[in-house]
Amino acid sequence: MWNKNNTSDLLKWLVHHPMTYRCLRPLLELLHIREDNAAYKTWIRFLLDITHNAYLGERPVIWMNAFAPSEIAYGLRAVPFMPEIIASLVAYFGQSRGPIALADSQASTDLCSFYRCALGLVLDDYLPRPDLIISSSHLCDGANKFFHHLSQIYGCPHLMLDPPYNDGASSRQYMISQLKDTFGKTCELLDLSLDQERLSEALNLSNQARGYMEKLNRLRRSSPSPLPGSEGLSYLAGMSFYSLGSRWGVDFFKSLYHHLQDRIAKGQGYLPREKYRLLWLHHIRPYYKNEIFEILAEREAAVSFEEANYLYWPTLDSSDPWGALTAKILSNVWAGPLERRIAAIWKMVKEYRIDGVIHFSHWGCRHSCGGAGVIGDLLKERRIPYIVLPGDGADADNYSPGQTRTRLEALMEMLG
Amino acid sequence: MTGRVYAGIDVGSLSSEAVLVGDDGVLEYAIRNTGANPQRAARNCLEEALNRAGINEKAISAIIATGYGRIRVPFAQKQVTEITCHARGAHFLFPGTRTVVDIGGQDSKVITLDDGGRVTDFMMNDKCAAGTGRFLEVMAAALETELTDMGRRSLQAKKGVPISSMCTVFAESEVISLIAEGYHEREIIRGLHEAICRRIFRMTKRLKIKEDITFSGGVAKNQGIAEILKSLFKTPINIPEEPQIVGALGAALYARDMVLKER
Repeated sequence: MWNKNNTSDLLKWLVHHPMTYRCLRPLLELLHIREDNAAYKTWIRFLLDITHNAYLGERPVIWMNAFAPSEIAYGLRAVPFMPEIIASLVAYFGQSRGPIALADSQASTDLCSFYRCALGLVLDDYLPRPDLIISSSHLCDGANKFFHHLSQIYGCPHLMLDPPYNDGASSRQYMISQLKDTFGKTCELLDLSLDQERLSEALNLSNQARGYMEKLNRLRRSSPSPLPGSEGLSYLAGMSFYSLGSRWGVDFFKSLYHHLQDRIAKGQGYLPREKYRLLWLHHIRPYYKNEIFEILAEREAAVSFEEANYLYWPTLDSSDPWGALTAKILSNVWAGPLERRIAAIWKMVKEYRIDGVIHFSHWGCRHSCGGAGVIGDLLKERRIPYIVLPGDGADADNYSPGQTRTRLEALMEMLG
Repeated sequence: MTGRVYAGIDVGSLSSEAVLVGDDGVLEYAIRNTGANPQRAARNCLEEALNRAGINEKAISAIIATGYGRIRVPFAQKQVTEITCHARGAHFLFPGTRTVVDIGGQDSKVITLDDGGRVTDFMMNDKCAAGTGRFLEVMAAALETELTDMGRRSLQAKKGVPISSMCTVFAESEVISLIAEGYHEREIIRGLHEAICRRIFRMTKRLKIKEDITFSGGVAKNQGIAEILKSLFKTPINIPEEPQIVGALGAALYARDMVLKER
């Protein structure tokens, strides 16, 4: 007799079977999802491909956090797997409550809900096994502890990157030696040969994607705003975390660039009418079902740009991979001195002709909300209306619809 | 009744208010419990205000709804947040107002405004109802006292008993323990009021607040809280004659602006 356990086992079997992702691809093509946007389709194909490879187990699977440079994994022909991105997808499909509840038996409820969701998926054995975990602390010190916990669960090695707070000659030397060491240990632990050429190729692919990102960001200055901010904070930001160093990244950013070019040529904004242009601060948004972007759209307010897509790093020098990745890590505007982030925010405000700013403050994420007051003071001084929107990116139980609506509408009323 | 009539309806989590204004000022108002049906509460409130004023509903030129239930008032032409409406209402009553402290049923807000009564910044508590009207209601029940009597009793206390929990559920347990320990009710009430005021005062510190300060919302009727706030701010605080209707008044004034702008 069929029961709930059988259904759960079947689901788990399907999730673990690499062929599921091979079969899903033509099925999803048949559904004609977002026919107008080839980049969106590339994102889905990318996710299916990477998940297929992660479960297939033919190549080593390296779990990484979103800010660890994905180029390392691609440079080793390993399969990167980012549990934070998976957690956001699980939340998007309205399935994060179960894993979060399960994780609460082992983790503090103050731990970021993306990690709690991922931990729940680990405990319930839904995710592909890692051969190695690499995490970086430059935005979130909790990340290293969390991934250490996961390495204990899986009994696999865990390598940590510890980028220094300030940039400078000694910081760069320190970071370069860490990256070399991490790469060397990764090769040793996974029995891979260190192939400088492959790594340079990954950096070149990352640069190609970066080139399109730059052009794409320039296109997004146009009015009306061609791309919904909700999408900028989902698949677009997801690809900039996950795909850089792969051919997928290049294809995705190239097709999104062409898509926006086309929309702009046709004079198509994402809203029927655009009255206000907003900037979204913080690299995430709530991914579960919520009304935030609908409320803004009702008031003809476009999220024209997101801090998540700010291109902070320089072109990578593929002849000097460690120096290049060091430059990328140490130029991250969310890590390091607040002045750097403030300068970047002000640049975005000017370049995107921003009328108002929403600073999403995700519970459990200190790196961003720590500076919210200072950023707010500066913007208010310069007469840019600003609100802090407290909330949670992955835990739907922390969403407060009435308060969220009041805060957003009050911002609109301040805009006039 | 001659001239135009404009209505503002504030549908809050605990109470709903309707205010009617004419070209020369406030005509009438009504206050009712919101209950489980915000739409009905809004309708009843409006009808009560109209009956008291002896005005037919057809005479109303425009209605604006505010408060948490603002989207549940189908007969309103527009919705405006309570943040903007409290600022407008307070500025109308006390034109020198540059800061509004509003403590309502389920949230508390500090709003700063410019000399035209427009909002320049605001802070509000998170989704937790600590330090709000609902919090006081629960504490009044735990103390078996009337909510309306808490202010008077608090003023009778020489000092407050420190209350460490601001979570409504934990604070209720703490209050019960304090009663069992033999503390006098008035000292416990004073302690609760001090805890609420400290929380509000901390919120004001996160904004660049200016005088005059006006205290609005149902909790402003509590003299005990008003006195503690005055001592924390070290300045007199404006308290409207009926602080509970400030949001609805602001909404009615916006309704009037809306019609005048269209003319």
